[in-house]
Amino acid sequence: MKSKDLFSHLSNLEAQLSSFSFEELTAKEASKLKKSFQSFKNSLDEKVLEKSIPNNQKKVVKVKQTSEEMLIANVSHEIRTPLNGIIGFTDLLLESKLSKNQLEHVNAIQSASSNLLDIINELLEYSKLSSGLEHFEFTDFNFYSIIRDVMFLCNTLILDKDVKLEVDMDTNIPEVLIGDPSKLSQILLNLIGNAIKFVEKGDIHLRIALKEEKEGNVLLEFDVVDTGIGISEENLKHIFKTFNQGEQNTYIKYGGSGLGLSIVKQIVETLKGEISASSTLGVGTTFKFILPYKKGSKANLVKIENPPKDLNQKLDVVKNMNILIFEDNPLNQRLIEQRLKVWGCKTYVSESGVHGLNILENNKIDLVLMDLRMPDMDGFQVTQKIRNNKNIYIRKIPIIALTADFSIKDKEQCQKYGINDYVLKPYSPDELLLKLTKNKKDMEIHIVESKKINPENMVGSPTDINLDEILEECLGEVDLLQELVGLYKQNVLEFIGNIKVELKTKNFKALEFASHKIKPGLAMMKTFSLHAIAEEMHGVCKTNKDLKYMEFLYNCFLDEYPVVEKAIDNEVKRLRN
Amino acid sequence: MNNLQLLLAEDDNLLASLLNYRLKKEGYNVSIAANGKEVKEYLSTNIPDIIVSDIMMPYLSGLELIDFVRKDLKYNTPIIIISSAGNEENVLSAFELGANDFIAKPVNPSELIVRVARELNKV
Repeated sequence: MKSKDLFSHLSNLEAQLSSFSFEELTAKEASKLKKSFQSFKNSLDEKVLEKSIPNNQKKVVKVKQTSEEMLIANVSHEIRTPLNGIIGFTDLLLESKLSKNQLEHVNAIQSASSNLLDIINELLEYSKLSSGLEHFEFTDFNFYSIIRDVMFLCNTLILDKDVKLEVDMDTNIPEVLIGDPSKLSQILLNLIGNAIKFVEKGDIHLRIALKEEKEGNVLLEFDVVDTGIGISEENLKHIFKTFNQGEQNTYIKYGGSGLGLSIVKQIVETLKGEISASSTLGVGTTFKFILPYKKGSKANLVKIENPPKDLNQKLDVVKNMNILIFEDNPLNQRLIEQRLKVWGCKTYVSESGVHGLNILENNKIDLVLMDLRMPDMDGFQVTQKIRNNKNIYIRKIPIIALTADFSIKDKEQCQKYGINDYVLKPYSPDELLLKLTKNKKDMEIHIVESKKINPENMVGSPTDINLDEILEECLGEVDLLQELVGLYKQNVLEFIGNIKVELKTKNFKALEFASHKIKPGLAMMKTFSLHAIAEEMHGVCKTNKDLKYMEFLYNCFLDEYPVVEKAIDNEVKRLRN
Repeated sequence: MNNLQLLLAEDDNLLASLLNYRLKKEGYNVSIAANGKEVKEYLSTNIPDIIVSDIMMPYLSGLELIDFVRKDLKYNTPIIIISSAGNEENVLSAFELGANDFIAKPVNPSELIVRVARELNKV
């Protein structure tokens, strides 16, 4: 395997980290970053060095195919988690005050680590395919709209180049086919993406021909033809082999792990198709593949709920929305990101639950698009984490599931976990736009109308209070605890009174002070549901000073407090006995 | 009883009560000041052996208190600052002004006791 690549990225990253000055960072951020890096490095050392070089030999040992795949699978999985930590905290660093020099360093860390992540993702996908873990679908899909999506995306990949991209499609191809649409787009994006990389000037043609149609079986032939640098005959023989790139210096010029084409070949073959390549140096390259499909039926396609009526109005609604996307497939990531950008949305993409939650807590996000199948935490688990977040705004954020296979079970689970809506993959832009506008509006109405927080949504249950720890700090003196509880109640009542008065006078300075002041006491008595509300109030005072929302939070606090007070009294009683 | 004088400047009566109890148990002679005025009143007639102060208090912040003790009174009394989370910038200023140590909220009383003892051992 190309551990060399990994190592060069790693040493790059290490160099950036060590030259980085931590002076202006908080100690916590700095140590977390360092820790992420350490654990990342350790897992790499362990997995790569120790296993592949068992006898302390310095030479790289050639590992057999099967163990190599195992190794790749292990390494990729283990590396991703700490790497996501590095990337997440680097993002955070970028948001803090940095000198120009520091900013350069952090940017370098960010770009080195995201390169590394790309490589690892490819490794992981390759190992999933090799081990047969990859999931393949068999569903009705609109073939023409998939091709349209792919072309839309590929056109965004062409940056101010003299490159023309054209499609030539046999119109006899049935509109609806049965098969795996996301794998088809993956193959096409990979091949066309490669062509775009290697063609500096010229044309790229995608030709799709109906080769055979018999008793509902459809055989399609795809040609991706480019006028790029071409590949020599010798190298063409190895083109689909793992970790192989056309020319020795290809990596230096174009980057990449050399896995793309072997992934494509594996997918095509798993779909019972065939792929081949032909090329002439200096003239161009043609990739030809054949895939079998079955004829589908329009009736089985998932219908769009309402035809869009007023497109401009909808576009106005979604403009400037901040959208967080959980999606692990890099191609899907780019597709949805591009589409949302065209509509003027600001996008954040995360392929892991942990990293995304981090983004959610540190940015203003209006809506979440959630792929239900992700490697580390699935979409339901991430949703659960969001719905249990301590920040009330985050808890209420609309979540739209993105899913390819929406079985009844998923539908029930969506409701159970608090997913607001869903979009089926592959989706048309209209469909997505409709869901975005619908859920954004829902949220606004929700915030204004809702005067109560559902206690089930709170951090832990308000009645679930444990004072063992604080009793320990009181050295077991229940009388002292009782005294503290008395002070606590007094403080809370004072707080409620203060907020009531200051809300009337709209004195945000006083509101900010009061809500900040009450927090340590709420935390000390482990009344985290109240603490979360106070925290949120404090945040509002510091940021947008939304009076309506403050009143809403104040009412939440009022509803919540009597329940909490009773729970505390019960707990003191329990400790006395 | 070590009979050392400890000034606890803390306006959160809940935390103050708990710390007062624990520090007294350790043998310190604790005086509590709930705001800047009380701090100044106390310091006009007493020289404590150590000061533990919240960084955020009405009328006189912890930072002003450090400055007052170091510049105006010219005392070398050890000062430990209690800071709330996310207030790291102020902690740096506190050290620049001459604070000896800091402890972050939520305060663990046992940790504070160790930190107080450590500062006193240095003197």
